[in-house]
Order: sequence, then structure tokens, then C-alpha cells
Amino acid sequence: MIDALIDKQDSFEIVRDQISAILATEVASQMALATAATKDPNDWKLRIFEERSNPWEQWLEDSPADISPIINVWYDNSTFDLKAGSTVERQKTTGIFNIDCYGYGISQDDGGTGHLPGDREAALEVQKAVRLVRNILMAGTYTYLELRGLVWRRWVDKVTIFQPQDIRNAQQIINVQKIVGSRIAFNVIFNEFSPQVPFETLELVSVDVKRTEDGQIIAEADYQYPLS
Amino acid sequence: MGLRALAEQDLGTILEDATTGFGWPITITAPDLTEGALTGFSDDIAQVIDPETGQAVSGRLASVAIRISSLAVPFPTQGLPVGISDRTSKPWLVAFDDINGNSHTFKVAQSNPDRAIGLLSLILEAYQ
Repeated sequence: MIDALIDKQDSFEIVRDQISAILATEVASQMALATAATKDPNDWKLRIFEERSNPWEQWLEDSPADISPIINVWYDNSTFDLKAGSTVERQKTTGIFNIDCYGYGISQDDGGTGHLPGDREAALEVQKAVRLVRNILMAGTYTYLELRGLVWRRWVDKVTIFQPQDIRNAQQIINVQKIVGSRIAFNVIFNEFSPQVPFETLELVSVDVKRTEDGQIIAEADYQYPLS
Repeated sequence: MGLRALAEQDLGTILEDATTGFGWPITITAPDLTEGALTGFSDDIAQVIDPETGQAVSGRLASVAIRISSLAVPFPTQGLPVGISDRTSKPWLVAFDDINGNSHTFKVAQSNPDRAIGLLSLILEAYQ
């Protein structure tokens, strides 16, 4: 029996939460930097959600209060590398975290003789969101997602933009809202750990390394067996 | 009068009876800013069928149906409303109130004219 309560987060949960935290923190920082640079901070605003199924729900309203791009971070899957892990304690794991981005566009008057088409605006919004997310997560600062020792590597596997609604296709629904989505498949390699059998020290092995000439001790080490 | 001509004439009763039928005031604005006050059907719903899966999904869908012969009165030279992708042009706009009296303005996203019977349905997208 496992005699201890499993009261912890697995590494995939820690990594997922860290991705969300990094994005939220950096978006706030970028907005502050934009303000300092006398630029519109809202151009850097992203709303970060985690494990949500329909974060865009409020965009169904006639006049949504906030049309900043939406980011939803969710855990997709893990594969475990038997060759680089232990059947007892640590498993090298490759996790895929989907970072879904949604851009909302609304057709509007351009103040001149033309207009801003909503489908184009939505595509540009989501591409801006992808740009920000990719730059933040692949920044040198976050090489190990600030989880060194747990994370081996992080990598953007793929960015997919879902095609905007195609009005030439009669089978397509043409919604009032113009929303374009994108998925960033974010690949993180990390360690997963599992509960262990509490060890008992059977033997203490002490090693002294001495210099032959004068017997001076150069190094000392104590090992408990089994190794902890 | 043939049956087809009679059917077109019946559109006047079916679409444009705002007193005892489902007719509803609709304002259409052409790219040259000519406005036309018409009566037709208007729809604005928030659940649609996904054609790929057949499942009901959330997604606002708005449309109007207008008698083509009635459009010719305010828009004698502008042609039928169509979706305009060109950013340097104004789009065709459609405005109507919902049942609670709130006004909504849309851009024409797609035009589906049925010239056999003289009916134009317009699929709409949000505009501000």
C-alpha cells in the first residue's frame, strides 16, 4: 500500500499553470511597457484563460464589453519515454499543451470613404495574439519556463490558424460575429515523479580519500544504502 | 396571371404585411448612402446547426428577406445588395429593431437572390 496521501500536483499541472502564469504576468508587463512608450496598451492586451471550453461566450453579445484576444491554455496529452525514465521513480515526459487563441473582429466605418472588414480584423487580431504568445514563451528568459530541474525543454511544435468562414461555401455558417481561431501546440519535456516506498537505511558506507605521501584526507563521503 | 407571377405578388402579402403578418420594418443603406425603408422578414438568432456535425452550436445568425421588386423603388440604379469585401468602399448596411425595440445594424455578408420568385435573402454580420 502507498502509506502517504497523494496530495500534490503532477508536473503536467505545474507546467500548465506556469504557462498561464507566465502569459498573464508578461501581458501585464507588456501593457505597462506600452504605456511607458506612449503606445496604446490595449494593443498588447490578451485575456488568459485555462482549461475553459467556451471563453468566447461573451462575444455572442451584441456589443461585447471587451474584444481583446482570448487565450485558453489547456493540457492535451503526455507521452512517457521508457528509455529515459525509471520504472520506479521518475519518468521523462513529453506533454502537449494547446494554447488556443481567438481574435474578434467587427466591421466598422473607417471614418473615411471605406470600411474595416470584420473578417480581416479578426484574422489580424488572432495573428497578433499568436505573435505575442510565441514571443513570450520562447523568450530566452523562459528557456526552462522558470522550472529548471523539472523542465528539460520547451518548444512550439506548430501554429495552426483555422480558416475564416468562407462565404463561397454554401455549407458554411455565416455568423454575425467574425472570430478567427488559432492553436499553438506547445511541447514541453519534463519529469513526472511517482510515490516511492519509504526507504530504510540498511548500511552506511563511508569513504575517505587520503594522500599516500602524508595521509592527509582529501575527501570524505557517506553513502546510505539503499541510495536515497 | 401565371402562377409564378402570382407567387411573386403573394410575396407582398407574405413578407410585407406588418399589421397582421410577420412583416418587419427594415432599413437598408447602399454604399452611396442612399437609404431605403422596406418591410420584410428579419431573423436574429443565437443557435445554429453546424453543417459539418449536424449539432446545434452557439453562434449568432442574422438575416433578412426582402421582395426584390420593392428594393427597386429606393435603389433604382444601385443594383441588389451584396457583400462588399473592398476596404475602400462602404458596405451595404441593414438595420432593424429586435422585438424589444433595440436597434441593430449589420453589414451584408452574403446575398442570395432568388430571381425565379423575386425574393432576396441577405446574410448579415455585425457592424458598428
